[in-house]
Amino acid sequence: MINAHFFTFSFTDFAYSFLSILFEGIPFLLLGSLLSGIVDAFIPAKVMTRFLPKNSGIAILMSGLLGAIFPMCECGSVMVVRRLIKKGLPISCATTYMLAAPIVNPVVALSTFAAFRGQSPWVMMSLRLTLGFVISVTVGFVVRQISPENLLQKKILDSLPGRRRTAFRMGTPSLDPTNLIEETGAPHFRIRLLGAARSAASDFLDVAFLLVIGAALASLFNTAVDQTRILPLASSPMLSTMSLMVLAFFLALCSTSDAFIAASLVSFPFVAKLAFLVFGAMFDLKLYFLYGLIYKRRFVIGLLIGLFVGISLICLRLSVMNL
Amino acid sequence: MTNSFSRWLSCATLVAWSAILMHFYFSGRIASFLHPMFRPFVLISAGVMLLLAIGLALSFSSTDGGCDEEGCAHSFGQMTAGRIITFLILLLPICAASAVSTDGFGASTMMNRGVVTDASGLNSVSKSSVDFPMPSGDGTAPSAPAPAVASSPVVYAGTTENAANDYLPKSKSGAIIVQVPDLLYAAQDSSLRPDFQDKTIELIGQWMPDQVNNSKGSRFKLVRMLMVCCAADARPVAVLVEDGKKSKIPEMSWVSVTGRVTFPTEGGRMIAVVKADQVVVTDPPEETMLY
Repeated sequence: MINAHFFTFSFTDFAYSFLSILFEGIPFLLLGSLLSGIVDAFIPAKVMTRFLPKNSGIAILMSGLLGAIFPMCECGSVMVVRRLIKKGLPISCATTYMLAAPIVNPVVALSTFAAFRGQSPWVMMSLRLTLGFVISVTVGFVVRQISPENLLQKKILDSLPGRRRTAFRMGTPSLDPTNLIEETGAPHFRIRLLGAARSAASDFLDVAFLLVIGAALASLFNTAVDQTRILPLASSPMLSTMSLMVLAFFLALCSTSDAFIAASLVSFPFVAKLAFLVFGAMFDLKLYFLYGLIYKRRFVIGLLIGLFVGISLICLRLSVMNL
Repeated sequence: MTNSFSRWLSCATLVAWSAILMHFYFSGRIASFLHPMFRPFVLISAGVMLLLAIGLALSFSSTDGGCDEEGCAHSFGQMTAGRIITFLILLLPICAASAVSTDGFGASTMMNRGVVTDASGLNSVSKSSVDFPMPSGDGTAPSAPAPAVASSPVVYAGTTENAANDYLPKSKSGAIIVQVPDLLYAAQDSSLRPDFQDKTIELIGQWMPDQVNNSKGSRFKLVRMLMVCCAADARPVAVLVEDGKKSKIPEMSWVSVTGRVTFPTEGGRMIAVVKADQVVVTDPPEETMLY
């Protein structure tokens, strides 16, 4: 055991926390990967654009609400969004959905309401969903102004419809489901299914690798750092808001359960908890790595700073209104 | 390392993860890691991973292709030199953690998380929702109206002493069996307090020394972990126990306490303190976490 002033590291505790985060996160990650594999194998790229409104502004607004009918936690949404972008979904819409879905969905609405019973649950739930929607849509509109070359990782960029080169050079019947659908028309169901399984497995291993790193870092903070040290910050609206956002970043909690943790931080003002809930669902330590699978690192850091500053300012403004 | 080897390594990784999940599920160890609601997902995930591994193996055998070529977005498929490191990171930490992890947190982590000793520190009850009854100047017991606590332990919400007596579970010796949060809620809820005040109760928890108001060293904290989803979000909740003598029980041991409940005011707030008649070391309960 390593013991310092505010840092006490116990490997067994670290391992316990690490495993619990993995056990909780893996099913959702797997669900996202399976959906991603199914989208990859069974949905042609043109379907994505056919159902979107032609007006890009309305499309972004709709994407912000998609989580209500297609709920997804933050780990799973990254996988789905990566696949949807490759299928031709506009990056602005995909980004809006990715940020909004972990907040604007019925499961999170219910868990937030349940967690804040006795602490103005309607207000907290409404503000969380509204802020989540508004901020996601705002980011979507910003992303619309940026060229894909400045946003996406080269591998994703190269796999976009119209840019795709020979992504999968295979011999006999290709298992790249995209090629299968778009080049051969209607491939055999078994081949599609194998393609979906392969795609899902690959996606899962890609993200699981990052989940392992994120879970390890979050567990280190979770078990080794004295969290009671941040309590004195609760007296200042600005410091409390920022400190809880930093805490949300390092704790890397799932958006379906974070409300219960926020509700228990009774020393902190209401708006600081709101910031914790909105920021933590959109950006945390594990998401920093996961977003890097899709977006260029520069954009990911820009998103981190933008969300941090934006949510801080909104919550501080709300604190002036005595919330 | 050949492409073929790396592909089979993917299958092996999925199978290994699946095996670890199944081991935790079927050995019952999963109970200390996850809320009951989430446990079936672990088994389902293990099965799906196994199916994916089979699907992956079949896809490899049906073609000589792979996503190793330029344009593939799968990072693990792209790496050559780093591929082995990727798989080591996927396998080693989870295997090592499975081998060394205990089924509970030690004292250092509990202290780092801050031990909650009153219901205002629990979720779903806020300071503003609970009217803290303070003693009058002459030291007589407070008489506050029942606060509007939205989430109180329903099972103990008896309105009269008789009703409460009928309702509360009891041990063979007649002591009321309670959990730590029940006493924390009762300390802040005047409608619940009579159910426990001066009654003999029995509760179980882990022994931790109390550092505050404990000059004689006869007081300790009886701690339980309260979980929402998984152990990573669990918070330690504790009730104070007055043992009457200095205890030699090792820290974090599971103990069963039988004693009388009191609600003194300390530090400006009403707290629950159990005056212990008996403190005995016991086995951990089947469910070490509270939900």
